[in-house]
Amino acid sequence: MPDNIYLPQLARVVSIKEEVAGERSIKTFRVEAVDGKLFDHECGQCAMLSIFGRGESMISIASSPLIKEYKQFSIMRVGRVSSAFHELEVGDVIGLRGPYGNSFPVDDWRGKNLYFIGGGCGLAPIWPVITTAVAQRANFKNITVFYGGRTSRDIMYRTELEKLRDSVDVHLSIDKAEDGWDGYCGFVPAAVMDQNPVPDNAIAITCGPPIMIKFVIQNLNKLGFKDEQIYTTIENKMKCGLGKCGRCNVGKDYVCVMGPVYSWAVLKNLPEEY
Amino acid sequence: MINIQDIRDTARDMLTKGEVRTVIGYRRGSRGMLAEPVFITDPAQADDLVWDPTCFHNLSLYLVHDRKFLTHIRQNPGVPVAIVAKGCDARSIVVLLQEHYFKREDIYIIGVSCEGTGVVDERKLSSQLNGFQASNAAFDGDDFVFTTAEGEKRLPAREVMADRCLECRVPFPKEHNVVFGEDKTGRQLEAPFAALTRFEAQGTAERWSFWQNHFDRCIRCFACRSVCPMCYCEECVVDSITFPVTTETTAEDKANRIRWIERSATRSENITYLMTRAMHLAGRCTDCGECERACPVNVPIRLLNNKMEREAREQFGFEPGASIGGPSLVASFLDNDPGQFIR
Amino acid sequence: MEKILDKKQIDDWINALTDWEVHAPMLQDGIWTYQPVSGAVRLDHPNTNQSPKGFAFPQREIFFSFEQIKGEPPRLTQILPKEQRHAVFGVRPCDGRGVPRMDKVFTDHVEDPYYNARRKNVAYVGLACNKPPSPNCFCLSVGGSPVSTDGLDIQMTDMGDRYFVKAITETGKAMMAAGGKLFAEPAAADQKQVKQVHADAVAHPQRKINDPDGAPAKLKANFDSPLWQEMAQACIGCGICTFLCPTCHCFDINDEVQSKAPMKGQRVRTWDNCQFPDFTMHSSGHNPREGTGARLRQRVNHKFQYFHENFGMHQCTGCGRCISGCPVGIDIVTVVNKVTEHAG
Repeated sequence: MPDNIYLPQLARVVSIKEEVAGERSIKTFRVEAVDGKLFDHECGQCAMLSIFGRGESMISIASSPLIKEYKQFSIMRVGRVSSAFHELEVGDVIGLRGPYGNSFPVDDWRGKNLYFIGGGCGLAPIWPVITTAVAQRANFKNITVFYGGRTSRDIMYRTELEKLRDSVDVHLSIDKAEDGWDGYCGFVPAAVMDQNPVPDNAIAITCGPPIMIKFVIQNLNKLGFKDEQIYTTIENKMKCGLGKCGRCNVGKDYVCVMGPVYSWAVLKNLPEEY
Repeated sequence: MINIQDIRDTARDMLTKGEVRTVIGYRRGSRGMLAEPVFITDPAQADDLVWDPTCFHNLSLYLVHDRKFLTHIRQNPGVPVAIVAKGCDARSIVVLLQEHYFKREDIYIIGVSCEGTGVVDERKLSSQLNGFQASNAAFDGDDFVFTTAEGEKRLPAREVMADRCLECRVPFPKEHNVVFGEDKTGRQLEAPFAALTRFEAQGTAERWSFWQNHFDRCIRCFACRSVCPMCYCEECVVDSITFPVTTETTAEDKANRIRWIERSATRSENITYLMTRAMHLAGRCTDCGECERACPVNVPIRLLNNKMEREAREQFGFEPGASIGGPSLVASFLDNDPGQFIR
Repeated sequence: MEKILDKKQIDDWINALTDWEVHAPMLQDGIWTYQPVSGAVRLDHPNTNQSPKGFAFPQREIFFSFEQIKGEPPRLTQILPKEQRHAVFGVRPCDGRGVPRMDKVFTDHVEDPYYNARRKNVAYVGLACNKPPSPNCFCLSVGGSPVSTDGLDIQMTDMGDRYFVKAITETGKAMMAAGGKLFAEPAAADQKQVKQVHADAVAHPQRKINDPDGAPAKLKANFDSPLWQEMAQACIGCGICTFLCPTCHCFDINDEVQSKAPMKGQRVRTWDNCQFPDFTMHSSGHNPREGTGARLRQRVNHKFQYFHENFGMHQCTGCGRCISGCPVGIDIVTVVNKVTEHAG
């Protein structure tokens, strides 16, 4: 029987962790294959997750490609399908199809200094690059992670970020001062400027709310980073994930095929329809 | 007899004096003989305005668009918008005013009387011209004159007029700021609801078979809804996939929305869509005919709405859009409302 | 393979195609639609109201059914289209050219099994346009022609009392072979006549896009132009232009639920449309294409710039249906001409 690109494989939820509580809560799910094994993926790629009867959602794969046993997704509760995800229990079975999209050219970055700049739930799409780089630590020079949440309760992967401090510079920030917080207070673009990253032999990878990305890129340019040194991952409403339903295009590119990963050098020449 | 130059002069004058910010009217379209809507802000463009038997659009739709846009940008320009309105269109405006969609002083109605005629029904014309297309249509007394590749063809207006025009009792915009053309109220070329009556002469089985065929054919392009000024709901109850979402809409709201019908254009879904729409327009539809004209697959939508309007007239003596201060059909209770259903 | 078929024998040929369900344009409810043939076929239609894209890409396609009892993994059952061959007669060259464009979309990058299952079973029997079927035709402006055979399996040309029938593909040859002795060899006079008919067809005036080759660059340059909102001001945001178009392929995927416990339903594909206001609306409430101007720009850019950049050809085939069908007169020829004449 030929492969049916629209037919998901079944995946069982093996763990659920609430990262951020409240109105726009974020939960992290790990899924394993019900039969056989899950597909391989590369850093930056996404998958369509199904809740049968509700629909599908395109979510970044947050786990490193080096991990074969499970795939990790962090999903924010924003709408119809994501709300259904938040009602799942361990042991529930969902649908999974992928991997979709392009990936970060991590191999090209060997020997370079890496700066990761994330905000809100934008940490999840770049998390596989961070964890893969850390797992192959000797391949890269300095690794620095900037990550900010609105408040200390909006910071996801808190435990994992603290563990990274062994091999990576981690700078966490929140928007406004809070009791008990002695990290940076202010927006992420400013937190980056505060540390004065140097563009020499460096790549910057950023993801977060559109407004944050805009100012991060501006600041990086000010610091001397060239557009080819800056990478981001964008999102658009998607349905098929395969470049056919016509919904997610930015100019001539279907984001689900030619994206979502873009260097700023390429993205700045595409129409701003995302 | 209307002289289009008078309408153009009025438009130019009002724009020049700044008394209105836009004139919504008709101009010659780029494809064949049909008129198309135009939005004039520059007095010099006023000469683009036309008035001919292809001015079928109900321009009050654009008053709704304008209001939605102003709400979205949170501005109130304080200067009215002018609109060219036929009798049916003016009644639509009255319904919108009854429903408090905008204020009377927000609009300036440039009324145009259809006098003794009306607009062309493209299908009737097509069969009269043996499938050929015309490149121009003009009023001439009781006739329409069409220019075709074979030369000019003069046809009695009655033979190519839309049914709704033939049945129209008030081809004159009673609500107006200025009006052009004579009031020929009561001209009645055909009895009201004549087309509906002819249709109902068939038995129930034939009628249900007729409707099943049409419900099967509907492709749910939503043109009938999009072209109707009364279908202004941001959230259409029978289209719960397209609904308004802002950054403030909660996940809960989106998760709890009920899908009353599916996207599939199958018979059951189409019945729900078309019949619900007809019910929601009861007492509000002023028979502008745009829904049926816009339909790309010729579903006879007007018959559905007409049925509701006849009920309204016979049961409640009610006519939509008759006067601004009048009651609305479903939102008003009057002591002398007939109550046969509870007797 | 080129033959002559007497017009009186077209029904005999269709009856000989016993392996096929044959469709032809019929006038019903005032519009021309493809219907399964039952009775005499006369190919005297202008063009059909809707394109023949529905044969390979129907309005509704069921992907699979799902059934899920609480506590157990869901059961998915793939539902592929039935194996049934369809022969569509009377296909105009613009619609024929639409076929390879749809093929590109559904086979590029990965293959769509539902489209392909249907597509391989459809044969398009074309009919050349001796004169433009619509006052809004403009096929010559987009690399097409009233006598194009692109995408067709057979091309028929109306020669008065007979058809000149030419096989374009192996399928076409097989279909003509099924007609056996109904077909006659063309005489030299027939060859001469068909050449003349074709030459006259191409010489017939139609609407014109003035600078189709310059369109991709000019559209790119005018992306931020206020022209778009101006040209889209009357747009009502319905689906007529896209649903009637032979090359528009946007779709939606939804789960249709028949029962909740046990959860039973189907995942279904339906036509969708970039002109609907919420087509690109993110769950967060952010809409990259707010306003009719942005959405008109998307459709025109897709047809004349993006598709061109990806595949080296315009996606629009000049059938004119979007122009004739638009209730408020938005006219893609006028739009493209305005943009290409505007310095970006």
